Amino acid sequence: MLDAIVVILTVSGLFFFLGTSVGLLRFPDFYTRMHAAGKGDTLSTMLLLMGLALYNLHHPSPVSILVSFKIMFIGVAVFIASPTATHAIMDAGYEIKLKQWVRRKEPTTPYAGTERRKGVAK
Amino acid sequence: MKRLTLFLVVLLGAYLVWTTQDLPDWGDPASPANSYLSTHYIKKAYEETSVPNLVTAVLADYRGYDTMFETVVVFCAGLAVLTILRRTKRKHKKNVKFRPQREGVDIILQNAARLMIAPMQLFALYVIAHGHHSPGGGFQGGVILGASFILLALAYDLKSTLRRFKENTVLFYSGLGVLIYAGIGVISLVLGGNFLAYAAWGGLLGISEVEAHSYGMLGVEIGVAFTVMAIMFSLYLDLASGGDLDEGL
Amino acid sequence: MNLYGSLLWQFDLLIIPMVIICAIAALTIRDLLSATVVFGAYSFLMCLLWTEMLAVDVAFTEAAVGAGVSTILMVATALHIKRKSKD
Repeated sequence: MLDAIVVILTVSGLFFFLGTSVGLLRFPDFYTRMHAAGKGDTLSTMLLLMGLALYNLHHPSPVSILVSFKIMFIGVAVFIASPTATHAIMDAGYEIKLKQWVRRKEPTTPYAGTERRKGVAK
Repeated sequence: MKRLTLFLVVLLGAYLVWTTQDLPDWGDPASPANSYLSTHYIKKAYEETSVPNLVTAVLADYRGYDTMFETVVVFCAGLAVLTILRRTKRKHKKNVKFRPQREGVDIILQNAARLMIAPMQLFALYVIAHGHHSPGGGFQGGVILGASFILLALAYDLKSTLRRFKENTVLFYSGLGVLIYAGIGVISLVLGGNFLAYAAWGGLLGISEVEAHSYGMLGVEIGVAFTVMAIMFSLYLDLASGGDLDEGL
Repeated sequence: MNLYGSLLWQFDLLIIPMVIICAIAALTIRDLLSATVVFGAYSFLMCLLWTEMLAVDVAFTEAAVGAGVSTILMVATALHIKRKSKD
């Protein structure tokens, strides 16, 4: 039973990693690529770590429970850090006005990265 | 000329790869490196120092003199960067094209940094204090402590970080670490042992000589952590602001 | 030298080519910021390699110093100098 859950978690984690890689390679512009990297990476890392933590509980003892707890702590750190890093990279790209991908080449209004923050007190 | 250089480099590399077949096998117990000193460390280190992590025992006790000067090297590197970069006049303004215009107004980054910094520092202290029993020690824990301050400076701005952790304090801690390390050595000299022979501390602390090794290593790791933490943050301060401590990355 | 003496030689076969690719890329890329990022990836792969050889202390140091702080310091330096290297 535990094995089945571990296999399901790990395989789904690897599946989402595959999706992340395909997205990184195939999406057309910076923003969509970061979208793939940020979401897929976080979810698949969480799933893999959960699978590892459960796999570690085959012979429950205080030591293995502690190790599983530490693995879940890594998961929490990734859960906080990875989306934030994605946000920071995306924000930096927005501020230097990277072009957004459009399906048809038609004149669009250019980005005004700094205007977005006018209301924010310095 | 380039072709000749490439040819020589490839020839030398091939020669080096060819010589590897004379090297002992991976993990061979009969190899020269494994047959004399390391067997002594592996068999005796726990009895002599009561430290389960052999790497820490060798690094901070058997080879403590070497590690002290490693710490001094880190200290000198930080001082060299400080001497070269601090208070240099910047000729032209920063390369604005590659950096975001705002500094220190990103709410998401700031709150994530708030959530991350305290666990990071706690983990760093755990790494320093637990270096005897698990991988880790002064260098790693010090680097993680320094990285937490760097994270603070990256998420907020450099000036508000410097208000919390002043440059003078940073430099004080960098010197304090080396002082703690060398001071432990000198005190064990005063107590009648050799320099950095922690067994001499046993009488002072009221513990056995074997346990004194363990406690001496802990003190030494704390000294290393102080220096490494302060020097990492000082390096970041000088390199990121270009020396005037005005504006970070 | 016995290749199969290593603990997980399959990992070796995966990691060592990537280490070599990252090392060559970090030397040949002209843009200094990109080279720094590739160098961070190189440090992390070296960290994996140390872990696989059970040298966990070295791996920890490599992850903290090589992949963590030195990347930040090199990015900070690369932003202050001209980004294109000439050779």
